[in-house]
Amino acid sequence: MPQLVTARIRRSSGHPLRIWVPVLPVVVVLSPLLLLAVPVAVVACRRYRISAVRAFGTALRIICALPGTRFDLEQGHTAVLVTVR
Amino acid sequence: MNDQRKDILDLLAEGKITAAEAERLLSALEADQPPAAVGPDIRPKGRPKYLRVLVDTVDNGEPGRVNVRVPLQLLRAGVRLAALVPPQALGRANTELSRSGVPLDLTQLKPEQLEALVEHLDEVTVEVDSPDAKVRVFCE
Repeated sequence: MPQLVTARIRRSSGHPLRIWVPVLPVVVVLSPLLLLAVPVAVVACRRYRISAVRAFGTALRIICALPGTRFDLEQGHTAVLVTVR
Repeated sequence: MNDQRKDILDLLAEGKITAAEAERLLSALEADQPPAAVGPDIRPKGRPKYLRVLVDTVDNGEPGRVNVRVPLQLLRAGVRLAALVPPQALGRANTELSRSGVPLDLTQLKPEQLEALVEHLDEVTVEVDSPDAKVRVFCE
C-alpha cells in the first residue's frame, strides 16, 4: 500500500515546488467521498456486466503495486518528478 | 567460451575423445570453476523488480530526459485489467484496429498470455539510438 507520494516541480522561472502527500491521512479525509463512490462503481460494473468483486480486487492490487513507481521528466529548465513510496 | 572448454570441444571434434568423455570433462570443468568466473557479461542478479524507461532527447537545442520506473508487480496487476474489459469494447477496438491496418483480434489475447509476457520481460532490453533521441527500456 502506498504511504507517501512526493512531487517536485521545477519551472523555468521561480522556485521549485515540493509536495509530500501522506496517503493514509488523505484517504481518511476522503473516506466519505469514497463511500459514495463505491455504489456508483458497483452500478457502473453492473451496467457493463463486469464482476464488481473482480474489479475491486484488481483496483486494490494495482494500488498495492504502486510503491516504487517513479516518473521523472526534464525538459530544458522544467522538471517534474513524482515518486510513490 | 574459455580456453579449456574450447580445447575439450576441439578434442571431441577431432575424434580424440568420445562424447561421453567430453561431457565428463565439461562437467568436471564446470564444477571446478568458481561462480565469479562465469563471465563479465553475465550479471549475477536477482529477479528484476522494475521496468525502466529512459529517454534522452534534444528538442530545439534543449536537452530533455524522461526516466520512468514502473514496478513489474504493477504491470502484472494492470494485465488483470484486460480481463475486465467488456467484450463489446474489445469488438469495437478490433474494428478500429482493423480500420487502422492492424488486424489484431484482442478477444484472442488472454490475461494468462499477457502475464507470461510480463514474466519474461526480465531479460528484455530495448535500445534505440537516433541522432536526436536515445531510448532504453530494460528491467532491473
